[in-house]
Amino acid sequence: MGDVKKVRTACRQCHGGCGVIAHVQDGKVIKVEGDPDSPISNGTLCSKGLSVTQLAYHPDRILHPMRKTAQGWERITWDEALDTIAEKFNAVIEAYGPESIVIGQGTGRDYESHLYRFANQLGTPNVLTAGHMCYVSRVASTLVTVGNLPICDYEGGPKCIVLWGCNPQWTNPDEYKGEGFWRAYRKGAKLICIDPRKGFTAKKADLWLQLRPGTDAALAMGFHHVILEEDLYDTQFVENYINGWEAFKERVGDYPLEKVQEITWVDKDLIRQAARMYAKTKPAGIHWGVPTEQTNNCADCTRTLTGLMAVTGNLDRPGGNVLFVNPPTRTVAEFSRHKDLSHEQRAKRLGGDQYKLGARVAFITPKVAWEAILTEKPYPLKAGLLCGTNPILTRANAREVYQALDKLEFLTVIDFFMTPTADLADIFLPAGTWLEQDHVADNWKRHGFVLARQKCVEIGEAWQDHKIFLELGKRMGQDWWDTVEDALDYLLEPSDLTWEEFKKVGYLKGEMVYHKYQERGFSTPTGKVELYSTVLEKWGYDPLPKYTELPESPVSKPELLDQYPYILNAGLRTPTFFHSANRNIPWLREIRPDPIVEIHPDTAQKHGIEEGDWVYIESPRGRVKERAKFNEGIDPRVIVAEHGWWYPEIKDPGHGWDISNINILTDNSHESMDPAIGATNLRVCLCNISAV
Amino acid sequence: MAKFSLMFYRQDCMGCHACEVACKQEHELGVGPRLVRVFERAPDFFPVYCHHCANAPCQESCPVDAISKNEHGLVLIDKELCIGCQECMEACPFGAMQFDDDQETAVKCDLCVDRLKNDKAPACYSVCPTGCISWGATKVLADRVAQEALPQKMK
Repeated sequence: MGDVKKVRTACRQCHGGCGVIAHVQDGKVIKVEGDPDSPISNGTLCSKGLSVTQLAYHPDRILHPMRKTAQGWERITWDEALDTIAEKFNAVIEAYGPESIVIGQGTGRDYESHLYRFANQLGTPNVLTAGHMCYVSRVASTLVTVGNLPICDYEGGPKCIVLWGCNPQWTNPDEYKGEGFWRAYRKGAKLICIDPRKGFTAKKADLWLQLRPGTDAALAMGFHHVILEEDLYDTQFVENYINGWEAFKERVGDYPLEKVQEITWVDKDLIRQAARMYAKTKPAGIHWGVPTEQTNNCADCTRTLTGLMAVTGNLDRPGGNVLFVNPPTRTVAEFSRHKDLSHEQRAKRLGGDQYKLGARVAFITPKVAWEAILTEKPYPLKAGLLCGTNPILTRANAREVYQALDKLEFLTVIDFFMTPTADLADIFLPAGTWLEQDHVADNWKRHGFVLARQKCVEIGEAWQDHKIFLELGKRMGQDWWDTVEDALDYLLEPSDLTWEEFKKVGYLKGEMVYHKYQERGFSTPTGKVELYSTVLEKWGYDPLPKYTELPESPVSKPELLDQYPYILNAGLRTPTFFHSANRNIPWLREIRPDPIVEIHPDTAQKHGIEEGDWVYIESPRGRVKERAKFNEGIDPRVIVAEHGWWYPEIKDPGHGWDISNINILTDNSHESMDPAIGATNLRVCLCNISAV
Repeated sequence: MAKFSLMFYRQDCMGCHACEVACKQEHELGVGPRLVRVFERAPDFFPVYCHHCANAPCQESCPVDAISKNEHGLVLIDKELCIGCQECMEACPFGAMQFDDDQETAVKCDLCVDRLKNDKAPACYSVCPTGCISWGATKVLADRVAQEALPQKMK
């Protein structure tokens, strides 16, 4: 056996960024460790990252391109695969126009820059991402409000932390890992936890606000109400830096605490206590999570929470919510050549006229893609390329998703395994894991870092996603580089480093400047925090944020309560899985072998359900089963269920995608979505339960 | 010579399971034996692990003396000697003894004795994001318990 070489790189098992030292021996990664010198993770590494060798060397992994034939899948060469895709795409462009090709990704493996560059040069405005309801929707809503995404500044030493629909130690924390939160907490910061479910952080919190799922925007309005009523706002800041303060105050007047209590189920005195703690403890940071986005209140909730940061003077202040300065590299937007997409093609973006805030950040909501495939209106989608995404599991109304992808005439999927979505493809392209990737990682985030993710090994014929877009793009006459490394040199050019030099440096940190607004205002049309949004007003939306009742709730649909008496809080995240990934990783599946539905013991008793029983969960759209676990830390009127479950061990096509897939129950009707951004309501609907 | 042990400060365990996978990787274990394991009963978590007892019931129960203690008090098993009778699994009051079906022997936490020799901390400790895992001299662990029990202001 040869010597062990240690390669310093960055994880991408979730949104990633944790520092890793990979041990490579004889061309194989035999072990990974946390990198103590990583500014992101300080040596820690989670169960997912630690399992990467079981992912990379999984016996089911597909390590060569494949084509579906009448007899089943057959192995082909990269040349054959890319030629076939280029030929089909060109035929669609010729007959229908480039807009009839949809390019999609999931939560992304740091290749959005390359995917968008490919789509923009192809000329299609129809890029299907998770962005409509995850992170990018927060970015879009804050862009129009304060010009950037305000991030909780743990390094700056918050004295009060609000975890709002967010469990950064368990799951997908975007900019920060749970490690940063924990250090700030251990230094003595006060903790407010907003969560319908009593988890670890709720237990640790000074105040836990157990709200009705999906009513976050109303609760945030309750905070504003207290702050206004008790004059807890930063007078100097609101006078100088808020656009529409008077109008906003009037809007807040619509939310007296009695009303907020009725909407959110949170006791009004507790709301008052929490609002006081947040407003009076300086500095205070809000760390917000994806449940605040996955409802019809997506943009309004983000804007209301941004308003809290602003009026309390915590915006861009050390230890508050800050607008980090990225290191000097080319942005994803610049690399992507968004400007190259013609106005004529942009105007054809599906749903672009309806969901203007989504269109502003260049994505479509999935619903319009499925409609275009199934109804061919306003025009048909004929071909697609989906990279690292499993929408049959992760998008609302899964049966419609399945039907649409099944009907699509030509589909290419880029992934590691034959997933339920890949089962429907015509061409399968094998992607490299993060161990097989060279990239300037984290360059899309807003935490002020870029990280060197270094290729440790090559496995089979798998290519890193970036190379796939580059080679396919070149084959279609697009402007790319000779190699992946050349493209990285271009990305890094403003930093005066080449990729080879950057690898040795490991990471770059932007030089942070606080209180930037005092010099140059905010990057909005008025230069102020637009609690009254001139942009949204121009587009015909309500310029002021508000709470809109959930589309399917005991309040909005009381007539359904006889049949569906409970609120389903869908999409419980777990530390071992990332959306629909990792169900086939032995170490992780051993920890969590079954999909879990959490039920309050009193509720379970009414239905004769014992712990460990398989339970049907049913909504107006369908029925799936998961295994019961009791949890006294949820409201008896609420059922909490995990998402993303399929069964890789079922080898038949489909891999049991419809057995425990909670998104068979969720709705994606236009009425159920956020009107400005097209966020689907993945979190809340009505349901019933019964023993299997 | 100081006696070593392992301790989880349960109040700070948030059930991420990183320790479990780090342990599996370090000891090259597949599905089955779990030398450290965290049970979940949200919002509480219950780590199960070897305490490296001073008077170790596993050691006492072993009919072939396959379990011994080293100079640091670490309770270790010699897989060459183990006959797979599983008496130790019955004897362990913590449920920490495990069985490896592949090798047909008992298997247990060795506090990453090979890592310790290279001045590296045990694998579980090295990845824990909340610092709920402590290892080292038993006296130091006892002091930590006392410290954690203090109200925040007195620390």
